[in-house]
Amino acid sequence: MKPAAFDYHRPATLAEAIDLMERFGDSAAAISGGQSLVPLMNLRLSPSDQLVDVSRLAELQQTRDLGDSVFLGAGLTHAMFEDGAAPDPANGLMRQAASHIAYRAVRCHGTIGGSVAMADPAADWPAVLLALDAAALVRGPMGERRIAMDALLTGTYTTSLETGEIITGFEVPKLPADARTSYVKFNRKVGAFASSLAVAVRQGEALRLVLAGAGPRATLLAATAAAFIAGAPKTSVRNTLAGEVALIVEADDPYACALHIATILRAIEEIS
Amino acid sequence: MKMTEISVRVNGVAMKSSVEPRTSLADYVRETCGLTATHLGCEHGACGACTVLVDDVLTRSCLKFAAMCDDRHVTTLEGLANDPLTDLLRQCFHESHALQCGFCTPGMLMAARDLLRRNMTPDEITVRNALAGHICRCTGYSGIVHAILLAASRLKPDD
Amino acid sequence: MFVADVRLPGLQDIAFVRSGVAHGRLLSVNKPADDRERVFTIDDFDDLNVLEAGPELEAFRQSPYPALASGKVRYVGQAIAACVATTRARAEDLAERVEVEIDELPAVVDAVAAMQPGSPRLFENWADNAFIARTISAGDLNLFSASPMRLKRRFRMNRHATVSLEIRGVVAHWDARLEELVVHLSTQGGHVMRLGLARALGLPENQVRVIAPDVGGGFGGKNRLLPEEIAVCAIALKVGHPVRWIEDRREHLLASVHCRDHHYDLTVCFEPDGTLLGIEGDVHIDAGAYALWPTGSFMEASMAAGNLPGPYRMKALRVNTFTVATNKAPMGPYRGVARPGACFAIERMVDEVAQHLGIEPYEMRKRNLVKRTEMPYVTVAGLKLDTGDYHDSLDTAAKMIDISAIRRRQKERKPGEPRVGIGFAVYTEQSGHGVVEWSKRKSRVVPGYESANVRMLPDGSVNISVGVQNHGQGHETTLAQIAAHELGIDPSQIRIRYGDTATTPFGFGTFASRSIVFAGGAVGVTSRRLAEKIRLIGAHLLQAAPESVRIENGAVLSDSGSVGFGEIARAANIRQEMLPEGMEPLLEFTGTYEPKESAGVFSYGTHAVVVEVDEATGGVKILDYAVSEDCGTMINPMIVDGQVQGGISQGIGTGLYEEIPFNADGQPLATTFGEYMMPCATEIPTVRIAHSVTPALVTEYGVKGVGEGGAIAPPAALANAVADAFRDCKASFNETPLTPRRVWEAAQAAMTRMEAAAETRA
Ligand SMILES: Cc1cc2nc3c(=O)[nH]c(=O)nc-3n(C[C@H](O)[C@H](O)[C@H](O)COP(=O)(O)OP(=O)(O)OC[C@H]3O[C@@H](n4cnc5c(N)ncnc54)[C@H](O)[C@@H]3O)c2cc1C
Ligand code: FES
Ligand code: FES
Repeated sequence: MKPAAFDYHRPATLAEAIDLMERFGDSAAAISGGQSLVPLMNLRLSPSDQLVDVSRLAELQQTRDLGDSVFLGAGLTHAMFEDGAAPDPANGLMRQAASHIAYRAVRCHGTIGGSVAMADPAADWPAVLLALDAAALVRGPMGERRIAMDALLTGTYTTSLETGEIITGFEVPKLPADARTSYVKFNRKVGAFASSLAVAVRQGEALRLVLAGAGPRATLLAATAAAFIAGAPKTSVRNTLAGEVALIVEADDPYACALHIATILRAIEEIS
Repeated sequence: MKMTEISVRVNGVAMKSSVEPRTSLADYVRETCGLTATHLGCEHGACGACTVLVDDVLTRSCLKFAAMCDDRHVTTLEGLANDPLTDLLRQCFHESHALQCGFCTPGMLMAARDLLRRNMTPDEITVRNALAGHICRCTGYSGIVHAILLAASRLKPDD
Repeated sequence: MFVADVRLPGLQDIAFVRSGVAHGRLLSVNKPADDRERVFTIDDFDDLNVLEAGPELEAFRQSPYPALASGKVRYVGQAIAACVATTRARAEDLAERVEVEIDELPAVVDAVAAMQPGSPRLFENWADNAFIARTISAGDLNLFSASPMRLKRRFRMNRHATVSLEIRGVVAHWDARLEELVVHLSTQGGHVMRLGLARALGLPENQVRVIAPDVGGGFGGKNRLLPEEIAVCAIALKVGHPVRWIEDRREHLLASVHCRDHHYDLTVCFEPDGTLLGIEGDVHIDAGAYALWPTGSFMEASMAAGNLPGPYRMKALRVNTFTVATNKAPMGPYRGVARPGACFAIERMVDEVAQHLGIEPYEMRKRNLVKRTEMPYVTVAGLKLDTGDYHDSLDTAAKMIDISAIRRRQKERKPGEPRVGIGFAVYTEQSGHGVVEWSKRKSRVVPGYESANVRMLPDGSVNISVGVQNHGQGHETTLAQIAAHELGIDPSQIRIRYGDTATTPFGFGTFASRSIVFAGGAVGVTSRRLAEKIRLIGAHLLQAAPESVRIENGAVLSDSGSVGFGEIARAANIRQEMLPEGMEPLLEFTGTYEPKESAGVFSYGTHAVVVEVDEATGGVKILDYAVSEDCGTMINPMIVDGQVQGGISQGIGTGLYEEIPFNADGQPLATTFGEYMMPCATEIPTVRIAHSVTPALVTEYGVKGVGEGGAIAPPAALANAVADAFRDCKASFNETPLTPRRVWEAAQAAMTRMEAAAETRA
């Protein structure tokens, strides 16, 4: 189980990295922690044969206070969040999520940027960042752009990143101290990807409810959130939720629906 | 075949090597450096047998290319031959019957040492969580968990 | 040092081209034009023999399994061609360039459907897809029609892999000086593998040397000769440099030994008071595409049937067994062989009857378990349970787990809180079975004995070579303990050697919970012979009568003096003139051992587990796990505990996590640890273990085997516990692994049934 041959590039600057990514186009892949990409390469499931190592780019390691929000570099590892070495503008939600991703050694290398770019439908970061209403900052041949999480995630393992674009980091709004969050992950064993992941972020009358592990990408459950905030009775919130979940779960799969309903209801309960 | 030149300090020894970019760190230490304490049990990050340290950070050597470790310090279990904490763990593994076939043991020792360096007084749940992603097919883990707790109980603050 | 750590000059790697389809006619294999001589197909070897495999029974149909596919492919992952290159990565590059043309045929993926008329067939010359079909019946068969009550259930234990952490591996080269093929092989029994390899390659056995260095777990999976191993050796004979193949995890899950995969369709007969009468029905074993040399997986069916009555006083048994060929990787043995499935079926059945009659499952077992006073007890299936107290085992486990506390907790549970359940499973573990049992099974190789070579060197230190193969069982420790006991020296003066056919006496290897009985016995009796000779020499040197001396602490003692083993060994090895008149020099014996009776001795025990089940998600959490077991005399309690805990961990894997599902085309759906769930320290609890010791009567020291027992009962105990948690709605959990999905679906079905019933009543 060894990868196919590829060329390895380690640009010294972000600009150089973008040049390389643009030059090689579809055959290029950025590599950050490698914790998702290398397993795929070992199984010969990755088509890229030009690897651009972005793991040492200083720009991707930064964190900056932007006032209402915090900039978190794409290269920050899960372990940095777990250990409190990276700021957590979400009152502990990011730390909580980070510590439930994979295993310690994987967390020491896997990055928040790589996770989002990978866009695994069951991954933790895309769901958490979507619930936090974060945006990705992206640098490419045409300069920098800011993409809201909802617009970035397009489908199973796909994002709206263009050829040559690299995620430099995320703008994550600071949650007020009285905001309430919850993170409910159901998986087959500790460290495995979620069978169902529910993330809720509530600031007073604003509730963002996200479901992952269902459908092609993490999804906002707006109707359920609205029903809950409007004070609808429990059964009616549940029915709304069942309706939203049924739209996301592809096949006729009562168990999957029940599971997602269960994790979301638990998340709601925690922020009630 | 295009090669990449790397300089890596492996267990304190400066190495200059020319490697295929696709060479994993695991294959580099095993095949190029001849250090076979690092085992391969899955090559997709899920079993922990290949765990080493890169700049003192716990690393699945099957999920890193050697080329990415240029200028880094790599420590395999062989490099911890004189490490007091590893010695203590070895002793406690022995006393607790924490290995049967021994194939998982190098990775277990790496993870255990890393945990105790971060947390000298872990409880059982913390130990078990630190071992998540480390597969042992033989022991059923209880000896391993016991050994790590035993080592923690024997740790002196300056170890 | 493991096989993958062996370094030889000029070593090259092998990668296999494997079938992507489950069933098809192999039309062509096209080698890349620029690298033809580095790619091997079956056509490159006209001198390889295909070994007959499976039991030596006329009725057992042969499924010729060539080292590389020939004519047809019969499962996804079957090796078609082998590619040799300087690194594994380059060998895989080469493999990618080999073009394979296959005419796909309909796949056979369900063992029960495979026996229906009209099913596609794997082997055209077979009348149906059964390797063998047999009916096993015993006892008073009239009971089946006369029985006042009966219950019918289906059980299924799904297929998984053996998953030793060190995967398989072979390093082979031709030693031109000794003119022999040297094979480093990760195996549980090098001598038997040498026999198979030599036959397959057409070499005399004295030109094949098998070395098993450290072996990183086997569990049955390394106790069969697999085609890749033959292919690698055949290539080594051709290319003139060492070659190796180190299986990767994907290959392991795809194409290594698979296990379990039993289907049961059973009816149990019983009295209204819960007295079990008999059990009848069908057992289908999904054995995969080929029988593996030597014995295939044919024992699964007979052992499953034979163990269905469990340790219960049943009067009748009638089981139709079918060992079925399907388009899946061949099945082989895995820790517990067949008994986890049989235990799952019978122990679930006991709970189902208890539920049906409203009896506490514990009581139900008390009513039916064989009593101590009835021992030895021959079960209706003909297994002779030799010694032990099964009731005491059940009582001990019940006490450890505290049934009444759980019952209280269940009563006090408020809606919305997780459900809690308690489950029991009683098991027996036949071990130390020899000639009678294996020849009854028509085994191609009859592992009826083990051997040991015990040698004292001139300085008094001792080397013992054995034919078994440690791969985690601690043979160095236990065998040295036994020898030390017999020789009256410290275990530290003894070295145990195994794993090299060139230096160890023939033996069968380590499997079937046999090593402590057979190899322990061989080391014991042979050491005793050595001790006797030492004593005679010692008496001579002390000028004392042989009857008047004894051995103690590495010396021979008489009333007036003592002489150390060092001196005795010196005399025996290098100072022959000091020996008694006419005595042969050397302190070396090779001996064999078989137990006085070879039908086997039975370890047994009770597993008791408490689980918490999340009704909304189907998630199962183990809250407590207790075992009371009896494996006869324990040579080393720490090693016994290690075997029990490790076995249970594997049993929990079977029960809750591990599975390789297949789709309708025969594509396996778990080929990495992403899909194949391996439990880790966060999933496996530390088990509380209580021992009782009823020595066996027919083995040395009263030992019984202990390697497999732990793995037998967990699926049954867990499923019973989950069912107990849903007792109020009579849900049945009859298929492993109990994934959250299966648990939820079974519970949901039961609740729907109950609601419907309530409605009808209303
Ligand atoms: C055993 C195991 C279990 C896991 N369990 C979980 C889990 O439970 N939950 C979870 O969320 N994840 C899990 N993961 C995945 C893990 O979190 C990865 O670390 C993460 O998904 C990818 O981060 P990375 O930095 O390693 O990215 P890489 O593997 O380096 O890259 C991943 C992808 O992102 C691209 N990429 C990387 N960086 C950038 C960038 N800056 N800009 C644009 N594209 C980029 C790459 O080209 C590639 O396509 C698991 C991984 C393993 C091995
Ligand atoms: S070999 Fe690296 S984690 Fe298994
Ligand atoms: S001791 Fe064998 S895998 Fe852990």
